[in-house]
Amino acid sequence: MRTAVRFPARVSLEQILDRLGRDAEFKQLVTRWERLPPRRASYAELPAWLDGRIGATLRRRGILSLYSHQAEALEAAHAGKHTVVVTPTASGKTLCYDLPVIDAIAKDPSARALYIFPTKALAQDQLAELERLAADVDIELKTYTYDGDTPPAVRAAIRSAGHVVITNPDMLHTGILPHHTKWVKLFENLRYVVLDELHTYRGVFGSNVANVLRRLRRVCAFYGSHPVFICTSATIANPEELARRHVEDDVVVIDRNGAPRGEKVLVFVNPPVVNRSLGVRKSALFTGRDIAATLLASGVQTITFTRSRVATELLLTYLRARFPQPQWPPDLVRGYRSGYLPSERRAIERGLRDGSVRGVVSTNALELGIDIGALQAAVLIGYPGTVASTWQQMGRAGRREDLSVAFLVATSLPVDQYIVQHPDYVLQRSPEAGLVNPDNLHLLVQHLKCGAFEIPFERKERFGTEDTPGVLSYLDEQGILHEADGRYHWSAQSFPAEGMSLRTATSDNVVVVDQTDGRQRVIGEVDRFGAPLILHEQAIYLHESRQLQVERLDWENAKAYVREVKVDYYTQAGESVRIRVLDEFARQSSEHFGRAHGEVLVSAIATIYKKLTMYTHENIGWGKIHIPEQELQTTSFWLSLPERATAGWPKERVEIALAGLGNLLHGLAPLLLMCAPHDLGLAVEVRSPHTELPTIYLFDMTPGGVGFSERLFRSTDALLERAREHLDSCGCGTGCPSCVGPAHALGHDVREAVADLLSPR
Amino acid sequence: MNDLRERIAAIVERDRKRLDGERGADGLAAQTETLSTRRGPPGLAAGSPARGGPRSAPLTVPSRPFEVHERRIALDELGLEIVGRGACDPLLIAHLGLKGEPPRLWTDVLFLDTETTGLSGGTGTYIFLIGVAHVAEEELVLRQHLLLDLAAERDFVTELKRAIEPFRACASYNGKAFDIPIIRTRFVMAIRSELTVDESHLDLLHPARRLWRDRFGSTTLRQLEESVLDDGRTADIPGWLIPDAYFHYLRKRDPAVIAPVLAHNARDVLSLVRITDRVARAVDAARSGQAPDHAPAAFLLARGFDRTGERDAAFACYESAYFDGDNPLRVRLALAFSRHLEQRGESDRALRMLETLLDLGLGTTRWREQAAARVRRLTRKKWRSALRTAS
Repeated sequence: MRTAVRFPARVSLEQILDRLGRDAEFKQLVTRWERLPPRRASYAELPAWLDGRIGATLRRRGILSLYSHQAEALEAAHAGKHTVVVTPTASGKTLCYDLPVIDAIAKDPSARALYIFPTKALAQDQLAELERLAADVDIELKTYTYDGDTPPAVRAAIRSAGHVVITNPDMLHTGILPHHTKWVKLFENLRYVVLDELHTYRGVFGSNVANVLRRLRRVCAFYGSHPVFICTSATIANPEELARRHVEDDVVVIDRNGAPRGEKVLVFVNPPVVNRSLGVRKSALFTGRDIAATLLASGVQTITFTRSRVATELLLTYLRARFPQPQWPPDLVRGYRSGYLPSERRAIERGLRDGSVRGVVSTNALELGIDIGALQAAVLIGYPGTVASTWQQMGRAGRREDLSVAFLVATSLPVDQYIVQHPDYVLQRSPEAGLVNPDNLHLLVQHLKCGAFEIPFERKERFGTEDTPGVLSYLDEQGILHEADGRYHWSAQSFPAEGMSLRTATSDNVVVVDQTDGRQRVIGEVDRFGAPLILHEQAIYLHESRQLQVERLDWENAKAYVREVKVDYYTQAGESVRIRVLDEFARQSSEHFGRAHGEVLVSAIATIYKKLTMYTHENIGWGKIHIPEQELQTTSFWLSLPERATAGWPKERVEIALAGLGNLLHGLAPLLLMCAPHDLGLAVEVRSPHTELPTIYLFDMTPGGVGFSERLFRSTDALLERAREHLDSCGCGTGCPSCVGPAHALGHDVREAVADLLSPR
Repeated sequence: MNDLRERIAAIVERDRKRLDGERGADGLAAQTETLSTRRGPPGLAAGSPARGGPRSAPLTVPSRPFEVHERRIALDELGLEIVGRGACDPLLIAHLGLKGEPPRLWTDVLFLDTETTGLSGGTGTYIFLIGVAHVAEEELVLRQHLLLDLAAERDFVTELKRAIEPFRACASYNGKAFDIPIIRTRFVMAIRSELTVDESHLDLLHPARRLWRDRFGSTTLRQLEESVLDDGRTADIPGWLIPDAYFHYLRKRDPAVIAPVLAHNARDVLSLVRITDRVARAVDAARSGQAPDHAPAAFLLARGFDRTGERDAAFACYESAYFDGDNPLRVRLALAFSRHLEQRGESDRALRMLETLLDLGLGTTRWREQAAARVRRLTRKKWRSALRTAS
């Protein structure tokens, strides 16, 4: 028995927004107040070819027609064309693939479909939805999820009897493809492959997934099936290109959304500046808490997104303190993140749908299509990193008819500050591209081995665009493959997919072992190339807001042993980075900057570390780092300054300007690449041996690269334009971590020097 | 092109380091070295083929893509007493790890053991050697099918299918988990066909474990040859070297490398047959009242007889296990044993046994509750019959 939630003052969302809009203090923080008008639905008839039972069921459910984009997707899929549907959250994407699949199975019970979701949670949710629909249609349709949690006892049944198998790329890679002979029924009759949330398959993960799909198509061909791919994606700049890279065939893009939308208000909020020179603002967490509390107190069902699990817990604590019992019901606000039990999460999802849970604080775990109904308000604490995610999180608030609101509260990070100063970046056509590079040789060779394990390669067979026969014959010489009668057979004892993660490029990681309280516990991983800077001995390593000191670094065995400490300083390591350009793929000179991209060898050696006090950044000690030089062969973009740009400048000023511009570009590049800042490396050379000019390198941190550098090369002007805009609008005087870097560390005229470079007088 | 090769080389090398790190391959390489110098086939270590170096051309291309080695051995020579003699006793077969329908004749059973290119299973693991044996006219016919060229797998598997099809059942050592799934995979990969023989299957690993694990610690075939058959192997290629030996053979075509593998496989199949016979004998002996003298084995055998409903045999085994066993084992079997005693009208003995164990303070709380309840029931029964006699 639960009592109905009673709110002291039940005010409509319209009234709350009105009040906020008049609040002078709040108004100062708002950089944009955008009202999106409601949009009407555009409908289309149910296709005539759709199985009669399905049409009848839809009509029984009150669905008399489809949205136009759903109808288009159905037609394309039915015609056997690969399709990518690009429409916002809650536009009914699921029907775009469920209907063709159910139709195919209704007409031919031997037909099969494979659904691939990026996460397990999403798979569970979709399974329930598909089962409901199939049950209503009253056809025999068995759907199963097949992932790491599937009990061995039911696996055999799934393999032979499942009409729709729902899985994730990792399971496809290690569990299904290497054992395809157990899935004969599925592969012989595979009609559709559904790739949901295609935009998440980008970067290293996406490049790996594209190779897994190559392997999937090989296996299908072996069994004589040629499935149609139906993909869905959030709005990105290049859905067709991304889908083509994954499907490796022509793809029909469907991006005219036919779903209706209620009126929607978007508010961009920048918390007040606390310390101008350090670029420190009031915590976005506090500002966000105040907004969420206001909404919740008025009975508005609100979802709050944070960027980390720790922030989720903190905000939950803060909000609960605002709504004490017994005046407020105990579970007014709930937390939601990975690490919670599945049953707990299902209960929260149910509570959100039926309205008994009024507020939820979540990581991006709730961003993807898990069904939680539509809420009235969303508060985003921090820019989620991509425009696509921003729209998905904002889209969690938004009903078909009513008014809804979404707030984006910026942190001090450069990207956040850029976004909040330039909301048009989010509001207008998305400039960010989902990038993959399936032909990255490092990844390609791994998948080629997996492919050979699955089905021997023919001598003339192509796998990706690299020289497949060359790789095959090399692997043959090495004894990894064995050529017999024109076919390359797997000839090693090991199982190639084992221990090969799709989520990282190399398994070359240094693990962080926490030995506080005498136990040894692995708490994190750092890629080997970046490890010397973060995990050298004596370094202070931050993990979930705890300070841990590295006591011993076992470089050979890739382990760093840390113990919790309480100190008032942090450490900062210096490294010397050398870049050797191995191959220049393309070069272009323009008035201000020379630009190029190509293959480079990055050698980095960590030299010394400094201990700096918190807040005042005073140097209170230093030490040497003894770790061998690291090498990374990858692709890089580089930008060089022509001599006239810095003519007459003292050398120090050139150095400062170069470092500042490097920081600025490095901070803003993720805007174009859908990546995190640490996916890109930065190096500056006052006189590059290659260009013989002052040069900034932005390189891909994945060995071999996943396509960032080429994209930067092609969009240099856009990047520089954003840099200019951002520098003009940054509120600091002389340079801060949100733009070119802190003036106190780089030099007092850093901002001015960078501005001179960007907009020469 | 050279550049590409260098880059692939770097990638492959890095990957190998990772795998070696996981498997502790340095140790493995070292062992390979010693093995080859001591007793292994010449050149095996040098050719542990994953170790780089340009590939040399095959010395001789085999004239046939696969070959069959056949040997016939008299049943007497193998010391078989039950296997191959007359019809199968369905009750006996039930104790030999049977899954599915029991075969009616020993001649219906195909004993098999495979050698593969890896232990992980999956579509990239090949069977290159399969030893099969069946009984015909007082002889055991052992045939070893050896694949000499991976390109000929289709013919090899087709031939294999022909060899397997006439039989109704197969017998193996751990085949349920290993050999059968791999054979099934190869059938699909090579000829897109289903396997027919596994509808009834004797997997001897399980009964062997019941009889001998407690006594000898391990129940590998090698261990059982030594401990049960008293016929240990002296020179034998260790199992984990077999895939590498085969890969080496594929490259160098050196029959000396494959000979020990053939010997190993033949030995495995023959031991499988002999162990089957020993298990059958132990079951038979227990049935005629001679339980195994090792208490845990007797206990596990007793449970098997309980399942097949052979009460006398079960009783004999329980009784023997109770006398020879230690207290924890007695606790484990006491409830079942007391039921047998009761059914045979020896309630007093059952009562005394349970009371003794309870008095000694043995067993878990749950067991003690069950035992106490049984004691109460038996006591009531005793009083009632005493009263009846009195009145």
